[in-house]
Amino acid sequence: MQRTEILKIMNTVLTNKGRPVIQEETQSTRDANFRSLDFSETALRIETKIGKELSFDAASMRQIETIKDVVDFFEGATATT
Amino acid sequence: MKEFCDGNRVAVPGDDLTWRQLLDRANARLDAPTALADQRVVFVIDDIETALAATIYTLAHDLDAGVIDAGRVSDGVRERFAEHAITPIDLTAASHAQAAPYAAGDPVAQRGRVTVFTSGTTGHLKLVEHTWATLNTFDRVNNLPANHWFLPYQIGSYAWYQMVAMALFVPGQHLVAGDMKDLAASFASALGRGAVTASSSTPTFWRQALMSIDRAQLASAQLDTISIGGEIVDQAILDELRSLYPTAKIRHIYASSEAGAAIVVTDGLAGFPRSVTERQGEPVSVRVDGDRLFVRSRYANSTDDDGWVDTGDLVELRGDRYFFCGRAGNTMINIGGHKAFAPDIEAHLMKHPDVIWAKVTAKRAPLVGNLPVAAVVLKGTISPDEAERLLTSHCLEELAEYAVPRMWKFLERVPMRASLKS
Repeated sequence: MQRTEILKIMNTVLTNKGRPVIQEETQSTRDANFRSLDFSETALRIETKIGKELSFDAASMRQIETIKDVVDFFEGATATT
Repeated sequence: MKEFCDGNRVAVPGDDLTWRQLLDRANARLDAPTALADQRVVFVIDDIETALAATIYTLAHDLDAGVIDAGRVSDGVRERFAEHAITPIDLTAASHAQAAPYAAGDPVAQRGRVTVFTSGTTGHLKLVEHTWATLNTFDRVNNLPANHWFLPYQIGSYAWYQMVAMALFVPGQHLVAGDMKDLAASFASALGRGAVTASSSTPTFWRQALMSIDRAQLASAQLDTISIGGEIVDQAILDELRSLYPTAKIRHIYASSEAGAAIVVTDGLAGFPRSVTERQGEPVSVRVDGDRLFVRSRYANSTDDDGWVDTGDLVELRGDRYFFCGRAGNTMINIGGHKAFAPDIEAHLMKHPDVIWAKVTAKRAPLVGNLPVAAVVLKGTISPDEAERLLTSHCLEELAEYAVPRMWKFLERVPMRASLKS
């Protein structure tokens, strides 16, 4: 899945909760107010969109700190699924 | 012959009959009851008049019988009949087939037993054994005013038998049978003719009626008595009914096909007062053990040694009131270690003025295990994106963040099953 599409889904997740959209990918997930529940929701929305379950590598999930890390993660997960 | 209120009337499509007239028709159509006296039978029917005629015939001749719609009788159901030594009698054909006699060794009939067919929460047909005494749950209601009750329930179900038993045994209680082919249209028609003064149904039935019948037409109906149950009754539907029928007696009833009618709530609030669990005695006692609801009732069909039935329903005390949280094992959603109950989320969603119906389930999700997802029927025309934002915001106002549905599906109509539940 394209990075722009992943970012669009993440922004939908945030704006539905009344939170501001992501300013830039270098923002930390904490500063962007992007929480673990939002990460799970994003994964679910991506899975629904591509019609497949994503496989997750727990080690790389633990290293996520920034919005860029999240986008990289989903870009990689959708590429290998 | 068993006694019944032979003057109570039963309106079926195209006719309006007394029980006596229905019995006369059944006697003319069916063979002498002695042919069935030793057998356990089920009458397979395809219209409401025949169902009611077979039922009064069963009562009048003290048979061991039940009644079921032909549409439910699959090969699997026939196997269930055979397992229970039940002989199906086809009343859908022009002339019914003779019931075959029992083979040697088969159990004999239990006179007065009534076989009730329920789908339960699994959708799998279940046979529940009752008697007319356990089905007659209205015997504890004093001074029930005369009423014409709309009968919407699935033929042969527990709720159907309760209504039929009321019309059989309580003077002045008449039935107006709904047309199963188009229940909402027959309800609207009966209301429009002024033929109905009382309604017993489920929250889902009312939500579908609110979707499909003009509100002004609904409000103009002279409904004096409204009973609602069969599912968790939320505050939104109670408030909606109160606004439609400000002077009607509205009560919600907790019952199960095994425990019988147990709790009747008349204060207009969802759940039930804690005081209900403090009144022990006849005919019904209620207790809460942990988070499970137990009932001891003379209307129950089977109990443990102490007479209690484990209903399998979960309740939670909030303030001085118990609220239903669904069935044990299938309504709690574990979201990363946090627990949310789907009925609570549904009840909150249905408080929103744009929502007519909502169902919340768990969907497997990475990191947190599960997330709540919602299917919703909206009242107006709102775009799905806008509806998601609106309803997410509505949920965030009151629910914990983990309990807020994360995915949404917007349906065109309320998905009501034959049991009137969703």
